[in-house]
Amino acid sequence: MSGQYHRSHSRAWFMERPAYIRFMIRELTSFFMAAYLIVLIITLAKVGAGEAAAAEWLQALSGTGWKVAHAVALAAAVWHTITFFAAVPQAMPIYIGEDRLPAPIAKIVMGYGPWLTVTAVILWGVLR
Amino acid sequence: MPDNETITLELFRYHPETDSEPRFQSYDVPYDEDWVVLDAINWIKDYVDGSVTHRWSCRMGVCGSCGMMVNGEPKLTCAAFLKNYYPFPIKVEPLVNFPVERDLVVDMEGFMDKLQDVKPYIIRDDVNDTSGGEYRQSPAELAQYKQYSMCINCMLCYSACPVVGHEDEFLGPAALALGHRYNKDSRDQGQSERLEVMLSSEAMWGCTFVGECSVVCPKHVDPAGAIQQAKAMGAQEYFKRFVMPKGAGV
Repeated sequence: MSGQYHRSHSRAWFMERPAYIRFMIRELTSFFMAAYLIVLIITLAKVGAGEAAAAEWLQALSGTGWKVAHAVALAAAVWHTITFFAAVPQAMPIYIGEDRLPAPIAKIVMGYGPWLTVTAVILWGVLR
Repeated sequence: MPDNETITLELFRYHPETDSEPRFQSYDVPYDEDWVVLDAINWIKDYVDGSVTHRWSCRMGVCGSCGMMVNGEPKLTCAAFLKNYYPFPIKVEPLVNFPVERDLVVDMEGFMDKLQDVKPYIIRDDVNDTSGGEYRQSPAELAQYKQYSMCINCMLCYSACPVVGHEDEFLGPAALALGHRYNKDSRDQGQSERLEVMLSSEAMWGCTFVGECSVVCPKHVDPAGAIQQAKAMGAQEYFKRFVMPKGAGV
């Protein structure tokens, strides 16, 4: 026997540090995004099935429960996006000669800039 | 500064020859706002209880020996000032996610083995050929890996990482960052060889990017960033091997 003492780990390890809780929330957002994608796929299938089926499905989605579910999915997607962009400067550093692009600028160049541009183009296409 | 004030340190105590379980022992230590937690532990050992066992050396954040849990946070005790905790008690424990040898000392052997696993040295095909002179490197090439070469092996990142705590075989932040440091070195030719180790499920793909390793790192090495970059490099290597099964290199 080595005489070493081995400390055990709690099942609720993710409650031990605020950063672990934030990590679990980030991971949990994936569930809501996956659930939303399933709803989106069903919606596309209904649209493909014809106008009547699509109208019936959209009528069902107009209920309060579905609106709340969509709001939760949107919040989860936005939070996931923010955490993703926060990781971009670490995961994909850009060097200009010897200098690394500062994180706030990298987030704009590789994250928020393209995101907002694509969002604006889609909104323009939908609303015009 | 208060005169004759004291601050309480609660030290984790475990002597394998007498203790089956660890215990905490409280010591009142003179409070000096210039003191760090390491100074207080040294004072206890010198003047109160010589049986207290801990590692330390340089007292200036270079050697990486004095890493401990200070109020639940992995810290270099030579950089944790008492004034940041005063007047409340300070609980000092050995780094978590490591077996405890005695009091505040943990077993580093597994960590050292993991560092060796990533082949932390420059690998060259022409190692014996010095006819071309030194391997030259530009400042821009140095910048690619310099940050990841600043690790002092203090193991704080292993205590902050929940994956290390749950997966004994996980190579861990410092070892993976060290491997990435050599993969990014323009003088190195051993990326494929090194990625053999780093591509395993116990290596970089075990990282879930909690990110706390980078937060606690006293030298701003950013192991979490290094591992994510290594994943991208590893994915490229994987597809190269898929497309060119024979003789693929990075």
